[in-house]
Amino acid sequence: MKGYTHRIPTSESEHVTSVIQSDSLSKRYGEVLAVDNLTFSIEAGTITGFLGPNGAGKSTTLRMLLGLARPTSGQSTVFGSPYDQLKTPAQRIGAVLEATDFHPGRSGRDHLRTLSWSVGIPDSRVDEVLALVELQGAAKRRVKGYSLGMRQRLGLAAALLGDPDLLVLDEPANGLDPEGVRWLRDFLRDFASGGRTVLISSHVLAEIAQTVDQVLIINHGRLVTESTLDELTARVGGVVRVQSPHLDSLAAALQREGIVTSTSNDHALLAQGTTKEHVGDVALAAGVAIHELVTEGSSLEEVFLDLTSGTAPQ
Amino acid sequence: MNQLRAELLKIRSTRTTIGLLLGLIALALLFTILTCTLSPLNQLVTEQEQASLLSFGSIAGVFAALAGVMLFTSEYRFGTIRPTSLFNPDRRSLFATKIAAGVLSGLVFGVVGEGLVFSIGLMILKIRGVPIFMTGANEIELIVGAIVGTALWGAIGVAIGSIVPNQVGAVISLLAWGFVVENLVFGFLPKIGRFLPVHASDSMMGPIEDKLLPGNAGTAVVIAWAVVLAIIGVGLLKRRDVS
Repeated sequence: MKGYTHRIPTSESEHVTSVIQSDSLSKRYGEVLAVDNLTFSIEAGTITGFLGPNGAGKSTTLRMLLGLARPTSGQSTVFGSPYDQLKTPAQRIGAVLEATDFHPGRSGRDHLRTLSWSVGIPDSRVDEVLALVELQGAAKRRVKGYSLGMRQRLGLAAALLGDPDLLVLDEPANGLDPEGVRWLRDFLRDFASGGRTVLISSHVLAEIAQTVDQVLIINHGRLVTESTLDELTARVGGVVRVQSPHLDSLAAALQREGIVTSTSNDHALLAQGTTKEHVGDVALAAGVAIHELVTEGSSLEEVFLDLTSGTAPQ
Repeated sequence: MNQLRAELLKIRSTRTTIGLLLGLIALALLFTILTCTLSPLNQLVTEQEQASLLSFGSIAGVFAALAGVMLFTSEYRFGTIRPTSLFNPDRRSLFATKIAAGVLSGLVFGVVGEGLVFSIGLMILKIRGVPIFMTGANEIELIVGAIVGTALWGAIGVAIGSIVPNQVGAVISLLAWGFVVENLVFGFLPKIGRFLPVHASDSMMGPIEDKLLPGNAGTAVVIAWAVVLAIIGVGLLKRRDVS
């Protein structure tokens, strides 16, 4: 994968701490309340996973954020304004909502040019993004000959045309093979490392667990939780596994902090209901060296399933 | 202007429009060569009979309307309405741009269709030794009326595509209206039928048929149809969610 050109966010975005702000957003389709009073915000420079089972309201929420669907009530802003009031939205936000949004008889390059020309982006940028997603060799072929992975990358290229500060991706890993998922993960990490923001939706936590910093989980259109992955694991009974040459001292230090500990079969220390950051801080304060520090216990997928089945604490 | 360039690229970058254009050329040539060659001479003795024969190029209006319909319906059919709307969230501006693109492509269809029919048809009639009764002014009215009418059908097609985003539904509706409903209404109730868009646009080409509106009135009626449909189309486009 080619390296992404990093840049500092523009001065306009620096004045806005919340890149995305959703206030009591609701959407009703007849009798069905697809999104129910959804309030959340996303800060600049983060990769946020937007999670929920199929039909939870993720895509509807994204469409409202991006001005494609009108909320029944509530409002949302992107970079401080409703999407349809942004002066140059393509230069601020890139979005991929479906991997199939192409005319099959049009070439990949022409697809990008129908978008870039509409907002005055030069053809040189089209060629840049084609190279960025490694599609320059297929640029003049009709899209109907593209694989799903190529279509995903063409969608991403379209989103990147305006060199945006925010990427919004709806289920981008759907149908990708493991190599494609890895490519996407590396790409997003590279993109976000320059201080940009990513919001990525998925119905499979494991698909994006290695990519995101934090998660928003919704179910039945309602926000279930908003936290970092470590907090999420800890809140539902996660375990931090520690290896140290001085386990007894570390166990005592943790217990003084009110943390319950136990010992695993392979003689590692297991700290219950905390985070690895907290364990690391306690070890440092106690002057104990650490050889291994990892969060385990409930798998993230179990946590996700618990939360979306309504059995976990809010 | 950027958006219009992009819309015109959408038209040029698939085979749909070129297919429609080739279909128009084939149909125009076939009809013109057959009718101008085979029509009995005693049916070509008035200006109206000759004008009616040479007005077949206005069939380009059907092709222009289909191309206009595709400008919206193919966006919905293939999902490109999503990236299009993300790049251009002002839907009124998007609609206006597509109308302009529909009119421009309609002009091309009109020039090709009526240009072929008139030039080849007139040539065949002259070769057959048929005395030409049309005056220069009437010839201009026929040609300009056919081309402008076809351009307006491009706009009407765009509006219909916005009103009925389902491509099959829009195309069937358009063809059923143009070839069945209007002809039935005009056949049985010509005083009403002449105000319908196909027959109103026919009247833009001059007195090619009895019972049609005068040319200027026909032009005004077609424009009114285009405006009313455009108002409905843009209203629905603004209200409708892009799913």
